[in-house]
Amino acid sequence: MDFITSLGGKGIALVGAAIAAALACAGSGKGTGLAGEAGAGLVTEDPGKFGKIMILQVIPGTQGLYGFVIFFLTYLKVAGAEVSTEAGFQIFAACLPIGIGGLISAIAQGKVAASSINILAKKPDHWSKGMIMCIVVEFYAILCLLASFLMLNSISL
Amino acid sequence: MAIVEMKKIRLAAMKTDKRRLLRDLIRLGCVQLAELPPEEGDMQALTRRMSSDAQDRRGELSRLLSAVEILDRAVPEKKGLLTPKPEKDSEVFLQDSGVKEALELADSIIGRDERLRKLSADESKERSAQLSLQPWQSLGMDLSIDHTETTRVLLGTVPAKTSMLDLNAALAVVSDEAEICIVSEDREFKYLIMICVNEVFAEVQSALKPFSFALAPVMGMEGTPTEALGRTRLSLEAIAEEKTALQSEIESLSSRRDELRLAADRLCARIAMAEAEERMAATESCIIMQGWLPAADEEKLASVLASYDCAWETEAPSEEEYPEVPVSLRNNKFTNALNMVTNMYSLPLYGTVDPNPLMAPFFIVFYGLMMADMGYGLIMIAAAIVALKKLRPRNNSLSFCQLLLYCGVATFVGGALTGSFFSDVVAQFVTMITGTQWSMPYLFSPVRDSEMVLYGSLILGVIHLNTGMAVNFVQKVKRGETASAIWEEGSLWVILIGGILWFLDIGNISGIPIVLIIGVVMLLLGAGREKKGFGKVTAAVACIYNTATGWLGDVLSYARIMALMLAGGVVGQVFNSVAIMPMQSGGVNPLTILVFIVIFLLGHAMNFGLNILGCYVHDLRLQCLEFFGKFYADGGKPFTPLEISGKYNNVRR
Repeated sequence: MDFITSLGGKGIALVGAAIAAALACAGSGKGTGLAGEAGAGLVTEDPGKFGKIMILQVIPGTQGLYGFVIFFLTYLKVAGAEVSTEAGFQIFAACLPIGIGGLISAIAQGKVAASSINILAKKPDHWSKGMIMCIVVEFYAILCLLASFLMLNSISL
Repeated sequence: MAIVEMKKIRLAAMKTDKRRLLRDLIRLGCVQLAELPPEEGDMQALTRRMSSDAQDRRGELSRLLSAVEILDRAVPEKKGLLTPKPEKDSEVFLQDSGVKEALELADSIIGRDERLRKLSADESKERSAQLSLQPWQSLGMDLSIDHTETTRVLLGTVPAKTSMLDLNAALAVVSDEAEICIVSEDREFKYLIMICVNEVFAEVQSALKPFSFALAPVMGMEGTPTEALGRTRLSLEAIAEEKTALQSEIESLSSRRDELRLAADRLCARIAMAEAEERMAATESCIIMQGWLPAADEEKLASVLASYDCAWETEAPSEEEYPEVPVSLRNNKFTNALNMVTNMYSLPLYGTVDPNPLMAPFFIVFYGLMMADMGYGLIMIAAAIVALKKLRPRNNSLSFCQLLLYCGVATFVGGALTGSFFSDVVAQFVTMITGTQWSMPYLFSPVRDSEMVLYGSLILGVIHLNTGMAVNFVQKVKRGETASAIWEEGSLWVILIGGILWFLDIGNISGIPIVLIIGVVMLLLGAGREKKGFGKVTAAVACIYNTATGWLGDVLSYARIMALMLAGGVVGQVFNSVAIMPMQSGGVNPLTILVFIVIFLLGHAMNFGLNILGCYVHDLRLQCLEFFGKFYADGGKPFTPLEISGKYNNVRR
């Protein structure tokens, strides 16, 4: 227990912030990577579709952004403030939803985006439907962002 | 604002009038020809299906289209994104003139393009020949010579790392009447010539095998390598010359692009007429057709048909025919916007309700609440107005622009209610300048009153769902299924009222919410009313389960209104904070202003793009899944009358 207290509230809060940014960004990296691989394949066949491929590729990138948003808000909150151990743990908990949810949803969304690039290759007229399917996954990342944000907002230092 | 009333039309006319009649019908653009039902008895012997030249016309059309594509590729047309299609009178589409010339033109363009492809293939062949000849330049021998009377000659390569000593040693083992010399070498290969007497040729070949000796492709070419190189150079020049000539010919033909396009649209009209013809039947002297037309257009048709020797009748479709009746929605400027949603989902069945007017207010209000930002709203309004003015869109694109406009207005209003203009950029600036916390005036804010906004969203959902149920109630009563309406929708309403009364603590008898209980009992009785014995119990249990989980899920789904409202605002807020940071710490100077502008524009462009799409998808889901689930009968076939519709030109109205 003493060990935990010795870490200090701010340290624990910053670990949370780091988790929010790192996991969500790792997920987005993986997701955009999956979509990018599929996209690069299609560019070799039809470079003219690059614009649409890029749109599909960036969709799984938003989780990283959401993670960064929570990181940033946490950072602003604890920078220059006294953080009790209790508050530190609360902030840590608030950072978890977007970290974990962002990681997994970004990878899942990346897979949908990669398949949507297949739609773009085979049925280019229907590519917007692929985009809609990607946005469906996005909603859960938004919910994670909100869960983190609402928790973070309710913690007063 | 309803589903257009259709009538079935049957028409018999003289065969000699066929062409004139088809042209008159396509001009009217209000009759959809349907497949004739199979004839029976005597009629079967008398009539036969019409055939047409649609297939040939389609072939011609594809020639025109590929010619246009070639021209577009060779000389991309300079036109803005917002240039509308040119408009032409309907008569222009029905003229036959110019089609033949356009086809000839198209063939000449396609021919030139094919020749260009052939030349490109030849060019790469010559280039590879040139490459393979280069290492042999120092050889002064005619390449076509592979033997003399007593010797055989081989030209070939071995990998560069092969040692000549090893090679010579291997040959010496086979015979001393064989010799191998190096002609040239580069980083990958040694280029060799081998000469031996006829008798040992086979042994020499097998001795060379282990060294990966490969025959050179230049063997058999005419003349010395230098001569051959000269020849390829000449033919490459000739190819390049012809290519430029062909390209400039194609470029000069691109001025006639519009001619091709108009002809393509004329062919489209002819194909439409030919396809209509295929749906007719004919006797020796008559043609028979059957189809659908909007009841309102009957007089228009009558005045056209008056000049024909024909017999025709119309009748309202019977209820059994409803699934076959094509559906067209009549909309005003407001509800037309929602056609985009209805068309994407599925049209309503004939004889049910048009969802657009019911959906329109909800769709637009929900959208405004989800997006809720004055700045984004202004961008949407501006984009929609520019598109409507410049593009003069039709059909689906018109619906899209209208929807963008209305949703933009709603987004602006939503932003005004929540005090958000590009999220909180104004507030951040004021705070930075005055040094005191300031925020835009707002009625409710998703960040500060998240709980209230959440409950508000759910209440909106209850209203939305109940509207759907009310529609279903009315429809059921109209169909004479009043009992079902009262037992199902009615008891749910009693439960809803009972729940509200319970919540407000009104009308409870000794603490028991009596209205709520009446509602539940009604629902259970309703569920079991057509079952017998034990079936009543299982039906009741299933009914409670379905109603409770279904309604809970449906209502909670509306929480997404609050979620999207909040998420868009928060992400924008963070971008604003990051953008304004350098100014706060480093003071206002050109550099920090530039940083602000770049981050602000990029961040909000992304947030806007994501939100405009996300809100649309989620609004769509609320309409198509939750709302439509309560009343909508889909599966209508779209009304596609015989009309002129061009790919490149619009009909002037």
